Amino acid sequence: MECYEKKLSPEEEKRIADAMAYIQSQARTAVGYPTNHLFDYSALYPFLNYSVNNVGDPFESTNYRLNTMEIEREVIHFFAELTKLPKDQAWGYVTNGGSEGNLYGVFIGRETLPGAMVYYSEDTHYSVGKAMRLLNVRSMMIRRQENGEFDYEDLRESIRLHRDMPAIVFTTAGTTMTGAIDNIATIKGILNEFLIDRHYIHSDAALSGMILPFVEDAPEWNFEHGIDSISISGHKFIGSPIPCGVVLAKRKNMERIARMVEYVGALDTTITGSRNGITPLFLWYAIKRHGLEGFRNLVKQCHEMADYAIEAMKRNGVAAWRNKHANTVIFPRPSKEVLDRWQIAVHGDTGHIITMPHVTKELVDRLISDMRQYPVKEVQS
Amino acid sequence: MKQLVIVTEDRPGIVADISTALAEKNINIESIDAEATRCHGVIILSVDKYDEALKTLTDASFTVYTENTIVVEVADEPGALAKIARRFKDADLNMRSIRIMKREAGNSLVAIAADHTKEAIKLVEDCIVA
Repeated sequence: MECYEKKLSPEEEKRIADAMAYIQSQARTAVGYPTNHLFDYSALYPFLNYSVNNVGDPFESTNYRLNTMEIEREVIHFFAELTKLPKDQAWGYVTNGGSEGNLYGVFIGRETLPGAMVYYSEDTHYSVGKAMRLLNVRSMMIRRQENGEFDYEDLRESIRLHRDMPAIVFTTAGTTMTGAIDNIATIKGILNEFLIDRHYIHSDAALSGMILPFVEDAPEWNFEHGIDSISISGHKFIGSPIPCGVVLAKRKNMERIARMVEYVGALDTTITGSRNGITPLFLWYAIKRHGLEGFRNLVKQCHEMADYAIEAMKRNGVAAWRNKHANTVIFPRPSKEVLDRWQIAVHGDTGHIITMPHVTKELVDRLISDMRQYPVKEVQS
Repeated sequence: MKQLVIVTEDRPGIVADISTALAEKNINIESIDAEATRCHGVIILSVDKYDEALKTLTDASFTVYTENTIVVEVADEPGALAKIARRFKDADLNMRSIRIMKREAGNSLVAIAADHTKEAIKLVEDCIVA
């Protein structure tokens, strides 16, 4: 049976071809953003012929049967293990990306601790400001250290001056600009010092949530160390053609939200109603194909590539560095010509590349060659 | 009316740069107010084409804020924002957010979003910039 009445006109066919050519050309210089382009989900393409929809809570039943919730639950349990969330306490779902998971984290925090102050750092992802405005929570920005971590002294002073209020601390494991990791043990120590029992810690681990489980001597970052919820991206380290991620939370906190929604007649615990049923398949497939050892090797490869880039940049007079455990390589903001040629993220005086699994030595060498050819012009004084 | 708040370094010609960038896109400035603090310039603009102005200035690498906020300058030291926030708590005024716009040379420019703007301004009049 024909699906559509019309065929595309030659002009419309060309629009599609042009869009593909544009994507292919841009993909060749994508080094500045934390997305892994190395994946192959062709075995799952037949699923795209169906209207798959994981509407509602993946741990509840649904009347819409074209769903992949069983697969989704397996994905959640995989991430629960990585983040040390005991299976009997684990709840979560596959999101549309890290920002949705962060919104959900602040949402649970607000419902758990009404009237709380949200503390977040200067280097927290921009989506958090949006989440706080959407949820109308009180918030205070905390200074950052040079490496991108919370300035714990500022956090301590801020919490001390507001010790009569419950605290939601929005932490980051792998900041956008430097890959810095906020130390959960230090933050817990501050909360305990001022006897703030009513606290909630969310972790935005969009990128590093898939790195820290696979490195030796990782700093305190997971549920075992005291977080209450976490957001991890799926399209970043694992890689996916459709943005996705997971949010994990303690079941007892989620149930608080569930009860509240049930009161108005629907047990609907996720942010959106209809939810993507394809992305859980992608994540499940990648988890099975890589395995824990595969992910460990990928992380090692990314760190080695970051070190290769740093050394090569230094040899060419570019002062590059990275935080331990991060695959984000930071350097002085390159020239406009380099920025025109490469997708490099810039922030004020600095720029960075992120050595995701698709970033090769050849790609790094080409970038450095352009940096050499188009150096930053000295400002005449 | 929605305003644009631009935080820049304090240097001669900055207002001219902003005006030129906007004029090139046919955007009219309806009002402009510039303040220089010890180390920052803060320029508050009202324009006829808000979204276009925001894009133009952002493309020109200006740091632009779009909320209706009170801008204060405080020392760049631990607890400085918290002390300002505490004033609101003690006065029982609702402060929705307090965040750093720029840190430089030992000072921070800080944006405060609060209810009851008049009372809020009184609370921070010793350090208000805009």
